[in-house]
Amino acid sequence: MITTAQDEINLYVFAVRAALGDLPESLRDELLEDLPEHLAEVAADGEGSLTDRLGSPEAYAADLRMSAGFVGGFPDPPGRTDQFKEMRDVALARLRVADVRLGPLFGAERASEFLVQLRPAWWVLRGYLAAMVLAWMLDDSGQPIGLLPRIGGSEAVALLLLAAGVLGSIWLGRRSVRLAHWPQMALYAGSVVLVLVALGGFLSADSSSRGAPYADVNYDNSNPYGNVEDLFVYDEQGRLVNNARIFDQNGSPLRLGNSYCYDESGNYTEVETLTYPYCAERDPFRVPGASAGTEAGERSGAPGTNGPGPVPPLTDRSGVSPSVSPSASASPSPSATSPSVSPSTR
Amino acid sequence: MDTTQLLKGVLDLACLAALRDEDGYGYDILRRLRTAGLTEVGDASVYGTLRRLFNAGLLTTYVVPSDEGPHRKYYALNPAGRAELQRSGKVWHGFASTMDDLLRERETA
Repeated sequence: MITTAQDEINLYVFAVRAALGDLPESLRDELLEDLPEHLAEVAADGEGSLTDRLGSPEAYAADLRMSAGFVGGFPDPPGRTDQFKEMRDVALARLRVADVRLGPLFGAERASEFLVQLRPAWWVLRGYLAAMVLAWMLDDSGQPIGLLPRIGGSEAVALLLLAAGVLGSIWLGRRSVRLAHWPQMALYAGSVVLVLVALGGFLSADSSSRGAPYADVNYDNSNPYGNVEDLFVYDEQGRLVNNARIFDQNGSPLRLGNSYCYDESGNYTEVETLTYPYCAERDPFRVPGASAGTEAGERSGAPGTNGPGPVPPLTDRSGVSPSVSPSASASPSPSATSPSVSPSTR
Repeated sequence: MDTTQLLKGVLDLACLAALRDEDGYGYDILRRLRTAGLTEVGDASVYGTLRRLFNAGLLTTYVVPSDEGPHRKYYALNPAGRAELQRSGKVWHGFASTMDDLLRERETA
């Protein structure tokens, strides 16, 4: 490339200007206003290209920045990267202080020493997580995978995979210090992803173990109580029990149905207490038009209701639980005259 | 020891001193410093330092047209610059003699 001396100077100045690109325009103009003339003097006095004699434009710009940038009329506005670096430095300094302060808590000079001792434990955990993620990706059996890395529901595979994951992770962990920069970064990034996936898995495992008593009732179609909306409890005389509470063998309250009501005019109300029935006026055995204290109430023993009929023996398949599934109840019809008082009262 | 590191600290004073007896333009001042023995001083450093001293109000400038080349911007010490030269000169002498003493003690010890 053939250039005149002036071209060379212009190119050099241009490159210096570019290297100072983060400075404000006005500051840069001021700093460089004499540079072409100055470089002309340099070029006129001696042999060799400007780059040979002055170094690269970038190095020249760095020198210029250093010698001109700090004092008097040259405020050096901090760039974004400087601010970021500053914040990082401050954060690191605080971390170091906290590190030393927390040290005695772990019986060490610094808390980080304790964390370093925990490293092998992390390797084992990482191996487990990696095995879980691998199993989760490879398993297409559709069965719930559980807490072991099962593939196709096989425990043997799970244990093999677990052993491989843990051993591999330990091997990697012991080598990671000697890895080159990029493989090390990749390892760290992989670990971060694993931790995130593990957090997600942990949260879903946690919520499914907490929600287990309810989840099946509400969402599983094969559950016989899946379409239960409300629950009506009757005593032996067929009287509706209001505000009943039901529990399982562990004393956990059972929750069935939808805790809201539409009354006769279609108004929606939330039910706030876990007592049954939610909507007493929807009593399936209620005598239409009956009101409290009428003859109907005297006949059946309960105001406004006529009860589900005689108490069936438990062996009667069709009437195991009339209160839960009234549609399948043995009582042929909730007729107003069916005798509902069992002789064994008292 | 790296003299470029030392130079960073004293380049202001060196430039002021180079202008004590005679005004000069940028490249001229660089040559004076190099002739005086500061051979490692960089072109950009001198240029930047002169800009900074000027902006700090220690130098005045004037332009002299030149027939054969570009015009030259001359730098000259103003009273503030002379005062600064004197003050910094004292600091330097104190510093240099401290260093001298320190090195002498080390050598005899």
